[in-house]
Amino acid sequence: MATILETALAAGCFNTLLAAVDAAGLRGTLEGPGPFTVFAPVDDAFAALPPGTVQTLVDNPAQLARILKYHVIAGAHGRSALVGQPEWSSLEGAPIPIRRSEPFEVKNATVVTADIACDNGIVHVIDRVILPG
Amino acid sequence: MTTTTPAAGTKTPLIPPSTHRYAEVIHRLEAGGSMLPDTPENLQQIIGIYKAYAVPMDFYWRDLLYIAEQVFLNPLPAFKYFISQEYLDRPCSYSGDQSQLRIWRGGEKAHPELIEFMERGETRRMPKLLHHLWHDRVNMEFAEACMQAMLWHQGMGGRFNDYLASDAYKANADRAIKAYFKGNPLMLGLYKLFPDMVLEQVKQLSYYSNLGLFWEVMAPVFFEMSDLYDEGKLTSVPQAMDFLVNGIFAVAGRPIYHHVFIRGECFEIIPKSEGFTWLYEAALPYVEAVFYRTSPFRGTKSYNAQAGQVPANQADFHYGILYADVFPVGSAGIPPTLLMQDMLHFLPPYLQEMYKTHRRGEEDQLIQLGITFQRSMYNVTSAVIQALRCALLYPLDDSDPEHLTANRQFFEAQMDRFLRPEARLPDIQTQDYR
Repeated sequence: MATILETALAAGCFNTLLAAVDAAGLRGTLEGPGPFTVFAPVDDAFAALPPGTVQTLVDNPAQLARILKYHVIAGAHGRSALVGQPEWSSLEGAPIPIRRSEPFEVKNATVVTADIACDNGIVHVIDRVILPG
Repeated sequence: MTTTTPAAGTKTPLIPPSTHRYAEVIHRLEAGGSMLPDTPENLQQIIGIYKAYAVPMDFYWRDLLYIAEQVFLNPLPAFKYFISQEYLDRPCSYSGDQSQLRIWRGGEKAHPELIEFMERGETRRMPKLLHHLWHDRVNMEFAEACMQAMLWHQGMGGRFNDYLASDAYKANADRAIKAYFKGNPLMLGLYKLFPDMVLEQVKQLSYYSNLGLFWEVMAPVFFEMSDLYDEGKLTSVPQAMDFLVNGIFAVAGRPIYHHVFIRGECFEIIPKSEGFTWLYEAALPYVEAVFYRTSPFRGTKSYNAQAGQVPANQADFHYGILYADVFPVGSAGIPPTLLMQDMLHFLPPYLQEMYKTHRRGEEDQLIQLGITFQRSMYNVTSAVIQALRCALLYPLDDSDPEHLTANRQFFEAQMDRFLRPEARLPDIQTQDYR
């Protein structure tokens, strides 16, 4: 099996996310043993943010890392486990609410593909960038 | 954009109309509008006042950072409003050719109208000290009142305030305090005796930095809106609101930090690496503390706390601009009047003309512009509400009724804050509130 980042690279639709992970200096963490549950926004999700949003974050690694960490939960949790709890604590610290199980919605994002198993965790593909608050 | 209002044309609404007291405003927000009705006069008023606000704000943010970074713990800061040339020339991060994200097309140094006013004031050209003593200057006390509102209310989301109580912050502050008072046994002795007293001053200075970094963004945003309006490129209130929403997102990730420069050495009391952001640690706490809460202003109106006239819970404070009765609040010397006085110096001609034709003309310009300011801040608050909806909830043209219901509940919860009788939301719905 591939790691979380290898899986994302192979999928071809996470170019912005992967660039952001590098800019934030999180590659080492996400290549580690984990395990992690990652809610991975597709490129279109980043493109939907107003102009300048991503660039400001890329220019400021600590701030970018904070937003990216909001997309990660410690431990490997599949869809069936996630929907069993109303919210989960992210690595950023703020809770990620599970809003709906069918369709599977995490905060204001819809999970378009769930349960992609990787060596060091599980990836759920989401259609929006989620933000704390 | 598809609207969700009953009057949205041929489409059948996916959810029933709101029954909230401010249903009309809620439906307007759901259609992508602002709490402020979209009329040509409202647009002219808010853009004009944004311009008049941005010029003194250009001084506020520069001086706030000057105080936080340079004046620091000066025990007798008599000259803290005498901003250095370096800070007047400090390149704004969001205007000028050097800016990575250019919001305003203008230059990076202090605005020319500000420089002109600092030289001449309302009176005439004279030494800076005389302008200061005659109080013929930018009213920096207003900016400090906003900072103090943020300091006092605290805990309004974000992690800034929690960090001020952390061991890491105390250690960073301790290094800066000892370096600043090096060779000053009196102040070092005082620090040893009352460490928390000095630390509290540093915390306040961190809020100076926070607010300075917040306003460094807002001044160019308002300047650009004014220029776009003058060019005929901003033609409606929702467009003005959308410009603000986009601006909020564009700079949301800007670091909020506190650096101090002592004898040429930089002390990072709050390093950028803490990850604090403009949106969460500055903008949202600012809106909550200054637009909604603040505190009763001295000398304007008597409150009987024992009779429950002042809320026991700070979260219920409602003395901000969104609730202000501008007339009694418009007394001399209090923060809102200081701001009105500052804005009066930079009113665009079209607003001066407008005020002359209403109420008492030039005699009550401060009140009229105060109410214009109130309208404009309802529009800024609308932008914040729409930005939060966009960040945390769903698009306005979402086709899922559950999502639209979640948006509805969010808008209604926001409008609940204006149900109290002091709220000016009903007043700004008509043009004859002046």
